[in-house]
Amino acid sequence: MHLAFFRVRGPKSRILALTLLIGTAASLHSQEAPYFVTYDHHLEEPGNLEIATWTTVGIPRSGQNLFFAPFSEFEYGVTGRWTAELYLEGQATSGDSAVFTGWRLENRFRPLKREHRINPIFYFEYEGINEATKILKEVVGNAEISNERNAELAAVHAHEIETKLILSSNIHDWNLSENFIVEKNLSSDEGFEFGYALGVSRPLSKLASGKECRFCLENFNAGLELYGGLGSTNGFGFHETAHYLAPVVSWQVSDNSSIHFSPSFGLTNVSYPALLRFGYAYEIRGFGSKVARIFGGRQ
Amino acid sequence: MKWAVLTFFPAAALLLAQNVNYQPDTKWRAPEEAAARKNPLADKPELAAGGRKLFKRNCVECHGDSGQGLKKAADLQLPVVQDQSDGALHWKITNGNPDRGMPSFSGIPELQRWQIVLYLRTLKPGATENKSPAGEPPSR
Repeated sequence: MHLAFFRVRGPKSRILALTLLIGTAASLHSQEAPYFVTYDHHLEEPGNLEIATWTTVGIPRSGQNLFFAPFSEFEYGVTGRWTAELYLEGQATSGDSAVFTGWRLENRFRPLKREHRINPIFYFEYEGINEATKILKEVVGNAEISNERNAELAAVHAHEIETKLILSSNIHDWNLSENFIVEKNLSSDEGFEFGYALGVSRPLSKLASGKECRFCLENFNAGLELYGGLGSTNGFGFHETAHYLAPVVSWQVSDNSSIHFSPSFGLTNVSYPALLRFGYAYEIRGFGSKVARIFGGRQ
Repeated sequence: MKWAVLTFFPAAALLLAQNVNYQPDTKWRAPEEAAARKNPLADKPELAAGGRKLFKRNCVECHGDSGQGLKKAADLQLPVVQDQSDGALHWKITNGNPDRGMPSFSGIPELQRWQIVLYLRTLKPGATENKSPAGEPPSR
């Protein structure tokens, strides 16, 4: 969509043009790993915006309630070495209510210029959330499965800092990723909490066919994730921690969109028995320069 | 504070991501060993069709529909690119040049990256074989 063909004036016109841009732009992200929790070392391409919606459904133990925790993600490639993301999240519990659970601002930095056997990424996130959050984007610390009502949990706000060391390797088309997580709740005296996520995945086809196809193996990527908590500075280790094993699969539905699915299985008695995760991601290529054009900036 | 953070970061991100017009990076060179690698698909030119599809998906935003180059990336049809070896082009696709806006495409399977190289050769009619190895000029 070439917005240079017309000139937009006034804030309403610009917002309309921005909406049209988001609705019609096309792109692709063919190298995205299928992980839900684990991060690999691939950053968003500079200037691209990925809009995604993810959902975590928690299958409860007896006496607990099923929950549904959707979150939206806006991922932007700021530079070749910096990707920033904004998350907005919510949660609904059966027999209870639906609540907005907060926002997160995440940044990932790539310190090394070239590909190496092991590629590090530094991850830094600020979370303005409340205790009703259940998206389980990461699992840290000790497990707490609360039976408190959403209204009570949503009233307890938490400001948290989360850091990760992401190590990732591509070996013969396999991706191996290891994430080490440290999280600090600035709103309470919980010490530092620790967690991990490990992932392995690979595309189902090594070659790309010459024809356009939706169900070709080359459009699928599958793997396995293992993630969980490692306690905190008040007690490091596996005691009373939740761990999950999760097959993951992603399907590149079109040049600009992908669908992701993962059933996660709880491995300890303080884990949820199962989590179902699914998501849809849509990427807008060259978003930054297109927005700049709308607002009269440089291309 | 919350709104300041929410406003400042996206605004700064958008500004930083704006393209600086393309200038060749003379320091961006494939190591000799990588540049000397042969394309394992060189005797299967029919696989260039798959490379074309991958090129359309991953490269046209910056390099243009037929690799003619846009403001922020090189014209891939020019001798300065086509004279590079298959290995050098594969290395550049794999590693990218993040400080100049070229992402790494190492997440694309190895053979698919070689397919892209096969397709790049079709951008210059009549040039399908391996070119001179190391010492090549940069393409982005």
